[in-house]
Amino acid sequence: MKTVIVRPERCVGCLQCRLACAVEHSQTKELVAALGEAWRPVARIAVYPGGVHLSFPNKCRHCDPAPCQAVCIAGAISRNPARGTTDIDPARCINCGMCAMACPFGVLTYAPTPKAPERRAVALKCDHCPDRQAQGLPPACVEACKVGALSWGEPAQEMAAKGRSLAQAYFAASRGVAESPEPEMIRLWRQLG
Amino acid sequence: MRFVIIGTSAAGLAGAETARRFAPQATITLISDESHLPYSRPLLTYLLGGETTREKLFLRSPEYFRDWGFEALLGTPVTRVDPQAHEVHLADGRAIPYDRLLIASGANPRMPRIPGLELEGVFTLRHLADAERLERHLAKARRVTVVGAGAVGLKAADALSHRGLKVDLLARGAQPLSKVLDPVSARLLMEALQRLGITLHLHSWPTAVVGAGGRVTALALNDGRELPTEAVIFSVGVAPRVEFLAGTELSGPDGIPVNELMGTADPDIFAAGDCVLPRHLITGEPAAFHIWPAAVAQGEVAGANLAGAGRRYDGILPMNSLSLTGCRIITGGHLQPNTPEGEVFEELDAKTGRFKRLVFDQGRLVGATLVGEVRHAGIYFQLIAQKIPVKELPCDPRSPEFHPGRLWARPLPGAA
Repeated sequence: MKTVIVRPERCVGCLQCRLACAVEHSQTKELVAALGEAWRPVARIAVYPGGVHLSFPNKCRHCDPAPCQAVCIAGAISRNPARGTTDIDPARCINCGMCAMACPFGVLTYAPTPKAPERRAVALKCDHCPDRQAQGLPPACVEACKVGALSWGEPAQEMAAKGRSLAQAYFAASRGVAESPEPEMIRLWRQLG
Repeated sequence: MRFVIIGTSAAGLAGAETARRFAPQATITLISDESHLPYSRPLLTYLLGGETTREKLFLRSPEYFRDWGFEALLGTPVTRVDPQAHEVHLADGRAIPYDRLLIASGANPRMPRIPGLELEGVFTLRHLADAERLERHLAKARRVTVVGAGAVGLKAADALSHRGLKVDLLARGAQPLSKVLDPVSARLLMEALQRLGITLHLHSWPTAVVGAGGRVTALALNDGRELPTEAVIFSVGVAPRVEFLAGTELSGPDGIPVNELMGTADPDIFAAGDCVLPRHLITGEPAAFHIWPAAVAQGEVAGANLAGAGRRYDGILPMNSLSLTGCRIITGGHLQPNTPEGEVFEELDAKTGRFKRLVFDQGRLVGATLVGEVRHAGIYFQLIAQKIPVKELPCDPRSPEFHPGRLWARPLPGAA
């Protein structure tokens, strides 16, 4: 099941993911039009300053089993087995705050949304952009991220790839071979002569 | 194997579903004295305030029992459990045999011992039938009194004031939620109640319900006043439902004592939810604290152990979330440190009404109260539950810079 893979060590804190997330969760899905909507669009990913020159993109991990789902007294949180997501039904959410109490990552926010117009606020969090996924597109935050801090992939494959590259780097270093091969763009630049 | 589960609320359902996952072939029978499909009790106050609808109370579909392969005996109260014969006796005379039993019978509202409780217009708010009876009465009432300023009482008062009723709220002590709230949070809460137009009476308790023609007309209070009212809702706590265990030595008056497997004194009987007396996560002492999340967690452990999985329950960490109009509070853990070396850290933003209060004891976070901004509550509760010493954290929770980035952007000291 594909998910958003976060590499905090690459995040530069540009906040483009937040902007893209808010726009994707607006009614018009257009930045300029979204600014004028009756319900101000809210981002479901947070970016926190971390260590020196480091930021931390924080979003829902779609845990399984999900602590938020276990504590929801309104039955508003459910698991979508087809998409691998933990979803909140705004029509059932009663804004009680139980999920904020249970989420070990602190990713829930509460705000009014056009999907539950009669309510003051409902719980909001990442939903892996179902509308975009239906069109075969990655979530908006992933598309917006230009530094590779957010990517869309299979966790097992990504872990295997990272393990391979670490192993190669380790063996290369232990054999005294020069470090990893030069990047593609540098190689091409050198070819230009 | 034949599993029988008494109760179809949070703990009972979590128990049944977990047992089914561990034992796909087992016969699982669910017994409830209520004939409705499983519903969410905490939603009743939201139903009262029109924030949800009756159909949304029901947490499972009408086909639920069939889909999960459960046998459901609804509307059948349990009269007696016979551990020797391995049987549960029902009010209609039937005896249901079991190999392993899960008692998730919950709790019933407590009532003060005062005269006048039989009058028309006296209510509690625990079961769906209570809410429906109250709804009929409120059609012709304008002034309502809520007795007890706990979580349910506060939420009920909020709901009633939303309907345009005149609401009086009685608190026994000097503040609402006296067991879990510090004075600053309590003041923020009381200001919110005032904005809602709810009249809060502190140090006030009813000595009698006064009526005329069989209907409630007023409450006589401990200070001699008589408070006119057309309906009274008592929300003064709950007592475990364990009458049917009389003579079995499985339960005391405060609930059913359980071990870390949610097992009782009888090796084939497990218990979970509001009827049990679990251990406190921090102190290890038996502590009754009736919250939905704990009932679900206990139900899952007990259900797995019905099937012999041997899962352990860490203990209950008291916590709750209260969301009134214009005021949101999450509290959890200890209100005060247990030892003199403990300290309390408070940070109030008077402009926004946001408040953070953290309780430290022996170098660990043991309690947290958040008012206004509650987003990171779960992070504090994880720190409490995992008992991580503050000095091992990458960032001190007392620092204004404390947030998820500080906690996770660098590896924990000592981590490989």
